[in-house]
Amino acid sequence: MQFLAYILRQTGKNLRQTWGTQVMTLLTVTLSVLIFAFFFLIYTNMIRASQRLGDDVRLIVYLDQEVTEQMRPGIEKKIREFGPVEKIVFVSRAEAFSRLSAQLDKEKDVLADLGPDFLPPSIEVYPLKNLHDLTKISQFSDFLLSLPHAAKVQSGSDWLRRFGYFTNLLRVVVLLSGGLLIITMTFIISYTLRLTVLSRQGELEILRLLGATSAYIRLPLLLEGMMQGFLGSSLGLTALYFLYQYIASRFSGPGFLRLFDFAFFPVELTGAILLAGVVLCTAGSLFSIRRFIRI
Amino acid sequence: MPRDASTDKPLVELVNVTKIYPPDIIALEDVSLRIYKGEILFLTGMSGAGKTTLIKLICCLENPTRGVIEVAGRDLSRISPAGVQRMRQKIGVAYQEFRLLEKQTVLQNIAMAMEVTYASTKAIHARVDELLALLNLSDKRDKLAGELSRGEQQRVALARAAANGPSLLLADEPTGNLDPVATELVINLFRHLNEKNGSTIVVATHDPSIYAETEHRVMMLSNGQLSAHPNRAPRQIDLFEA
Repeated sequence: MQFLAYILRQTGKNLRQTWGTQVMTLLTVTLSVLIFAFFFLIYTNMIRASQRLGDDVRLIVYLDQEVTEQMRPGIEKKIREFGPVEKIVFVSRAEAFSRLSAQLDKEKDVLADLGPDFLPPSIEVYPLKNLHDLTKISQFSDFLLSLPHAAKVQSGSDWLRRFGYFTNLLRVVVLLSGGLLIITMTFIISYTLRLTVLSRQGELEILRLLGATSAYIRLPLLLEGMMQGFLGSSLGLTALYFLYQYIASRFSGPGFLRLFDFAFFPVELTGAILLAGVVLCTAGSLFSIRRFIRI
Repeated sequence: MPRDASTDKPLVELVNVTKIYPPDIIALEDVSLRIYKGEILFLTGMSGAGKTTLIKLICCLENPTRGVIEVAGRDLSRISPAGVQRMRQKIGVAYQEFRLLEKQTVLQNIAMAMEVTYASTKAIHARVDELLALLNLSDKRDKLAGELSRGEQQRVALARAAANGPSLLLADEPTGNLDPVATELVINLFRHLNEKNGSTIVVATHDPSIYAETEHRVMMLSNGQLSAHPNRAPRQIDLFEA
């Protein structure tokens, strides 16, 4: 108990002696965490959105001729032979017209002059939900185009591909900002501790002469780094949460964010980021302690 | 009273110790010495005779070039860094240059020595008050060390060395800046530590006034070589054959 009290008191003394630098360090750690967590938040939301989009993938084969009831089992068998699908829905011209009419709701008058035959019949193929591979979707699409009377296949794979490129780009940004976070945190904490050690050089020397143990001298400095990591990460994540709340409230509604179901980090991930901040700052402290303090 | 050297076990033992500073300054040459538990030993000699070096060797601030030094039966060359730190907690050292933190109070300076042993705040305050009273510094308790006179700083350094009731106290020129009254206070402190705690005390000094009347052993260092003080009785000499 007495040991802990001394360690805490020494830590407090360190913080007081170099408070200006400590504040700057805290701000730097906070900003680093904020920048990283911001990109990471967008990235995790994009990943979830791409998973949702992948789940909604369906391939529509537009036909130049109606498929009769007799033809359906044969076509269905052929499709299932290529790969497992969740379901296959045959849509006749009349059904397509009726769907469009229902979608237009009050505006359905625009269809009045058009006959029910103006829309092509189609087959909607719903692949299994684990079919997220764009190459496989593309192969499936090519196969469907080879079916008798197939005129065009709409898979949305181009859009998914572009979305995939964007997600990959974001991944790079997250990795870069993560790297920046690691460098910034370890460097700045190491630098701050170096200043602390320099400012207390005389005192540390006397403590050494008086028989202070390694733990007595080093633990407060280690604790200082841990505290900086904890406080900086907490402030960074809190700032991000308020930023998220602002964005969510400003862009709520039937738009982009509603489509992507923009959400904050789950508790576990928030804890993991906090822990990473603490670990990085502690590592910076350790580096500095090992380098500048000889006992 | 002086200890009976023939029956007591030495607390500190130097065997053929030589210390050479680069490039070839011989500070101590082939010094052998036993310091017994509960003994008060005066080390005399001119400036540069090697007194400070001897003290630094005993408290592990320097390593001997040759020879063996044992403290409490442990060879200092074989003690781990952590072991050295633990040993230093039991050795009080009053440095010639004081080594006080001038921007800290007298209380804080003395308390440091006890804080490293994780003593309770209550015990620290009680001990600091006791030592300051013994050294007539009670009114300086909350003053910054840098605001004190040299003599007062010297007494604070002594109080810090005595704070843990050390089993061995090494004092390097402890009266160098003191008037006769303050010198008497310091001698009383040594006596108090020796009689109450059984502390072994080594005083390095070139001030004859503090050992002139003593019954304790007085050794003289001259050009790095240890010998009995010329004015002391032979029974007090403990140079031994290695």
